Amino acid sequence: MRKKIFGFIGIVMMTVMLSACGNTNSKVDQVIQNQMQEADTVTDKSEDTKDIMETETDQFSESTENLFAEYVAEDTVSESVLGDNIDLTVLSSTMVYSEVYNMMYSPHNYEGKTVKMNGLFVAYTNKDKSQYYPAVIIADATACCLQGLEFILEGNPAYPAGYPEVDTEITVVGTFETYEEDGYTYCRLQNAKIL
Amino acid sequence: MEKLLLYLAYPFVRYALVVGVLIALCSSLLGVTLVLKRFSFIGDGLSHVAFGAMAISGILGVTNDTLVVLPITIVSAILLLKTGQNTKIKGDAAIAMISVGALAFGYLLMNIFSTSSNLSGDVCSTLFGSTSILTLRKEEVWLCAILSVLVVLFFIFFYNKIFDVTFDENFARSAGTKVDLYNLIIAVIIAVIIVLAMNLVGSLLISALIIFPALSAMRLFDSFKSVTICSAIVSVICAFGGIIVSILAGTPVGSTIVAVDVVVFFVCFIVGKIKGGSRA
Repeated sequence: MRKKIFGFIGIVMMTVMLSACGNTNSKVDQVIQNQMQEADTVTDKSEDTKDIMETETDQFSESTENLFAEYVAEDTVSESVLGDNIDLTVLSSTMVYSEVYNMMYSPHNYEGKTVKMNGLFVAYTNKDKSQYYPAVIIADATACCLQGLEFILEGNPAYPAGYPEVDTEITVVGTFETYEEDGYTYCRLQNAKIL
Repeated sequence: MEKLLLYLAYPFVRYALVVGVLIALCSSLLGVTLVLKRFSFIGDGLSHVAFGAMAISGILGVTNDTLVVLPITIVSAILLLKTGQNTKIKGDAAIAMISVGALAFGYLLMNIFSTSSNLSGDVCSTLFGSTSILTLRKEEVWLCAILSVLVVLFFIFFYNKIFDVTFDENFARSAGTKVDLYNLIIAVIIAVIIVLAMNLVGSLLISALIIFPALSAMRLFDSFKSVTICSAIVSVICAFGGIIVSILAGTPVGSTIVAVDVVVFFVCFIVGKIKGGSRA
């Protein structure tokens, strides 16, 4: 029975530890504090050396803080992970698909952010073909499911002027926004550029 | 390493790792019992039932399909497992009947009453679990965590009873153990784990999560306790490693986890041969 109680305590501790695993701030603070404390306790009598070390420590602390400050995630969404610039071209296909899924599911968390993504160009149309919806699409790892993001080029040229051939691989960057049409909310990149 | 740190900064990646590890842990614990009771393919059978249930929930337009999938899967698990060893239709035949029947009817209903614009994609994603684990909401993570903790607690507190029921039901019954009750509880827990695990590896690959860690552990150890602990460790490492590899390499999550499981099994097989360990 005692073993089982210890096992239960172990599981609770594991659960608590897992739930706190995203708190990178505390780890970063601890590392920075340790670094700063180590720097402060250096007993080198040379003033130049001490100044240099303190400068390097400050620079390291600042660069580390900046690096991890960009990667701290809020609650359930990644709005502050990459600041206002979301570059999907550096991610693997699995990650891109998941992130685009999150954009579609929680678009309000991405409003106004600059998004850069790479994929195939397609142009969808409505039933009477009175309107075209240019988009860049990506496939998941099994290539059976597609996610995409509509985009409008800077200056809002009428399709096909200014747009590439369908099925061309493109890299597009634009500002993420949502809009309403026929009672539904859609997402797109505004003022987009094809790189 | 920098890329991994970048990926780990995304909440959905952390959620996937937490949920993946918990599901792998729970499935491995029950996997030892199932393998020894010769119900290795129960995961496959129940996942196909869950697939059929998802088709029904889609037709009914139910927003949260867990409300339909979980009860149907639990009922199927009870039908398959509660009857225990003294049943006319034995384990493998019963599983095959329910499994293929549910899969066929599920796909048939999805085609006839299609509510999705990409039926093939939805079916493929459900069957193989390519990115489902990376699209979890926080509520789903909490639900999974709570259910996983309950499963592990059950296994810890009722370890001796599970041991008795696994190896000799008739003896356990004669010793006063409520065998039917424990079979019922195990059936319910397995159904819950299967429904959760579909998000991780998809319907077709769930059996791998149940079978491979247990078999890998059996290559190395002889006692039930050692096999169970080793199976849990192997399963957690494989799930964690598989998810990391899949997000770095851009491969389907489910298949990658199973591939890691297979590799680890062969490693354990070789080590077991060298050690002269006992066979399952």
